Amino acid sequence: MKPVYLKKVKRNDRLASWAISIGGLAIIFCVIFILVLIVEVSLPLFMSPTARQIARVESGFVSSNVQVLAVGMDDYLETAYTIDAGGTIRFINLADGRELEQIRLRPAEADKRLLAVENFGRLNHVLHWDDGSLSVEQVKFSPFYDAADNNRRSIRHTLESRGEFPAVPQQVEQSLARVNDEGRQTRVDLFADGRLEVQQREVTENFLGEEEVTESSEILELNGAGQLSALVLNDSGTQLYAGTATGELLHWSLEESGEANLVDHLQAFADQRRITALSMVFGDVSLAVGDERGQVSTWFGVRGDSSGKRTLTRIHQLTGHAAPVDKLSHSLRDKTVLSRSGDGLHLDYMTSERFLLGFNPPGGISRYALTARGDGLVALGENGDLLSWRLFIPHPEISLKTLFGKVWYEGYDQPEYVWQSSAASDDYEPKLSLTPLIFGSLKGTFYAMLFAVPLAIFGAIYTSQFARPKLRGMIKPAIEIMAAVPTVIIGFLAALWLAPLIESSLGSVFLSLVLLPAALMLCILLWQAARKLEPLKQVERGYEFLAVIPIIIGAVALASTLGPGLEQWLFAGDLKQWLFSELGTRYDPRNCIIIAFAMGFAVIPIIFTIAEDSLSNVPNSLKAASLALGASRWQTVWRVILPSASPGIFAGTMIGFGRAVGETMIVLMATGNTAIMDLSIFNGMRPLSANIAVEIPEAPVDGSLYRVLFLSAVILFILTFIVNTVAEIVRQRLRAKYGRF
Amino acid sequence: MTPIKIENPVIEVEDLRFYYGDSRAIHGVDIAFPEKQVTALIGPSGCGKSTLLRCFNRMNDLIDISRVEGKVLLDGQDIYDKNTDIIELRRQVGMVFQKSNPFPKSIYENVIYGLRIAGEKDKSFFDERVETSLKGAALWDEVKDRLHDSALGLSGGQMQRLCIARAIAVNPKVILMDEPCSALDPKSTARVEELIGELRENFTIIIVTHNMQQAARVSDNTAFLFEGNLIEYGLTEQLFVKPQNKQTEDYITGRFG
Repeated sequence: MKPVYLKKVKRNDRLASWAISIGGLAIIFCVIFILVLIVEVSLPLFMSPTARQIARVESGFVSSNVQVLAVGMDDYLETAYTIDAGGTIRFINLADGRELEQIRLRPAEADKRLLAVENFGRLNHVLHWDDGSLSVEQVKFSPFYDAADNNRRSIRHTLESRGEFPAVPQQVEQSLARVNDEGRQTRVDLFADGRLEVQQREVTENFLGEEEVTESSEILELNGAGQLSALVLNDSGTQLYAGTATGELLHWSLEESGEANLVDHLQAFADQRRITALSMVFGDVSLAVGDERGQVSTWFGVRGDSSGKRTLTRIHQLTGHAAPVDKLSHSLRDKTVLSRSGDGLHLDYMTSERFLLGFNPPGGISRYALTARGDGLVALGENGDLLSWRLFIPHPEISLKTLFGKVWYEGYDQPEYVWQSSAASDDYEPKLSLTPLIFGSLKGTFYAMLFAVPLAIFGAIYTSQFARPKLRGMIKPAIEIMAAVPTVIIGFLAALWLAPLIESSLGSVFLSLVLLPAALMLCILLWQAARKLEPLKQVERGYEFLAVIPIIIGAVALASTLGPGLEQWLFAGDLKQWLFSELGTRYDPRNCIIIAFAMGFAVIPIIFTIAEDSLSNVPNSLKAASLALGASRWQTVWRVILPSASPGIFAGTMIGFGRAVGETMIVLMATGNTAIMDLSIFNGMRPLSANIAVEIPEAPVDGSLYRVLFLSAVILFILTFIVNTVAEIVRQRLRAKYGRF
Repeated sequence: MTPIKIENPVIEVEDLRFYYGDSRAIHGVDIAFPEKQVTALIGPSGCGKSTLLRCFNRMNDLIDISRVEGKVLLDGQDIYDKNTDIIELRRQVGMVFQKSNPFPKSIYENVIYGLRIAGEKDKSFFDERVETSLKGAALWDEVKDRLHDSALGLSGGQMQRLCIARAIAVNPKVILMDEPCSALDPKSTARVEELIGELRENFTIIIVTHNMQQAARVSDNTAFLFEGNLIEYGLTEQLFVKPQNKQTEDYITGRFG
């Protein structure tokens, strides 16, 4: 070889090896990059909440001899206000501590003082005056562009009176009041002598358009309960809860005016601890209970037995305090519970039982309020300082337990795995358990593989070992073309053609599952006996398989003829009804039978091709050795060919498995997409992949659902990665054992 | 052609013609193989000696387009008769291939493969047969401590002797050997040739070889084939010393082939 030419050959060699290395590394890099991208989107799910103090207004903005009874803040975290015992609301600019405005609540009665202020809903305050009267006021902030002041954005503060309750004569311990949007007013008074009275006033319009006022007042039955130590009324004023000093909980329904009903009365804590604080949780289903031991738990009514009666049951236990809980409240946005105790203010999320944030500023916290959007907290210290924080609580409802564990959601009778990402109302609990989706992925894959693996492997054995080469040359490409059918078409056919077909002739389908193999076996036995007979001897061997076609058609025809009759005879005419009544299994038209056929159709070509290749690649010398020792064809296949080809068959199966786990379109179209955890073949499922496809268009970017969907993509990625790695390891070991040739 | 006197023919071939599709590879061969002797089939490449050998256990059946005419009698029974059981035939006529082809199983399992597929299950019978067969194939001393190791860990010569052990484990009448030493080094070849000498005590051996020295060393009788015809068949010492046919002489003296 000429030196110049040799140099050129070597250079090309180097170039080729560089190009190949770069290509390979680029692929690895791309895969890792995709993983990094989806992990990056899903990771903020597990970020801890943070709070940043945005303002601190030194004490002295309000004269020290007037007690502040409540604080509040607008949604822009710009303006705070205080309500003091003198009946004055002061609005304070948080940026510079300047007082913006003062509003006197009852200007005509200057001597009246406030005893207590209770907050509910969106900036609603129940003002408890010293004469026993109550008024409900709502603070409103409305931004506008001040034409007088160079069109600067300013905020107008207004007060809207929502209801008035007249004075009561007796000494009142605690009063609660609610005004709901329909104009129904509810007032609950706990008197010093322990009586609990409810007054309700409802204004309705009759059919003549006249206003009708219904008023009622009654003393609630206490059912021998101990001294009441905490009370809470839900936002609409229809449910009243009370806790006692001896650990009892009482629940009255005030739905029917004048017919208050004690729904529940139970000893909530066996150790008779004092219940020190109560609050509803957003949505008014759960009740948060704080006690003298500093513990916070949430409760709601659960149907314990078949009677259908709901009993208050402890559901979640939140992070406790070191001192008795003296105040509980809730967020207006989600299931966050605020609890205050001697050791500060805690924010906990109910569903995930996550401790979100704790506040314990040096001056302590005497009054506090969370903004309506839940992103700001304003607090008045014991020393009179006004503090505010901007809260960053990205995904409070997400924890490993809510993602993978059983969670007891509101309204459920036991903890369950549930995926329900949206609901009709805003105050629902997001249910983002990935377990039913992982289960769905594995279930669909299991049934598809159950159908596909035997067919594909037996098909590969027949094609590679028994079929004539000419036939093999036709079968193999035909099956490989199956892999090229777009899955949307398979899914479409499965959903719109196969599903109704199977549903309408379920009995025939099952019958043919029995008849088809039976007919084939019978025909094979007959053929074995008849093949030695003189006329049949002349039939050319190798084309016996053609006889299978009429047998299949015949068996299916027989099954579909006999099916309805069989259903009539054995299952009282309706197999689906029988399944439901006798076995308790509901039959969904789009179920795992359809999935097994449709996804099997997509997976069979993959397994078949790889298995067929590895079976054909078993060296002929091994086959010859076995045959020369007197082995039959089947013995040779079973004892020599299959073990030698096992690495390839296994790899094919695993690649098929990976394909089935990730398959989206078919399951999307041909299952009901119901995220249930039920192994039954007669109903559907919702796999991870289809779930992503269904929900990602509706998931708000960077919201919890969006990130959880990305997390499920990570899980899908890891699942396929594990399957492929295990497959590769097993394949290598099998190859070391049977390989070499 | 020198007819040799055959006392107890195990295999008799009468007018055997073999076709690959339309082309005839063997043009009417008549030959008989005496019991418990080694007969070598020699001839240049493509002369049909391997094809002829494979006719004796019907391995040619695996080739789709092949066709056989004429008769091959094993103990007086035509093996191409429609009623012949191929499986039974192959248990009587064992075969050792050019390239050693142990199964990817243990040494032990390789030896008893032929017994297992015949439905044998007795463990002590297996143990005994493994020992006698491996001893018969002069491999016992080398592998007795690792019978359950993979056969693929043996050397090339050991593998070929394992294949011989596997063939004799089912106790056949005839062992066909298709160039058994062509892939072996000289030392292993010597071992296998020595082994063939021992095996003739119990088995009838037909060996195809392109190595004339080997044929001269191991065989009792030699048949020379050329272009699908049997040219000369006789006692080995006579054929190599005094070939009757010009073509035979040319071939064994190395003028062609």
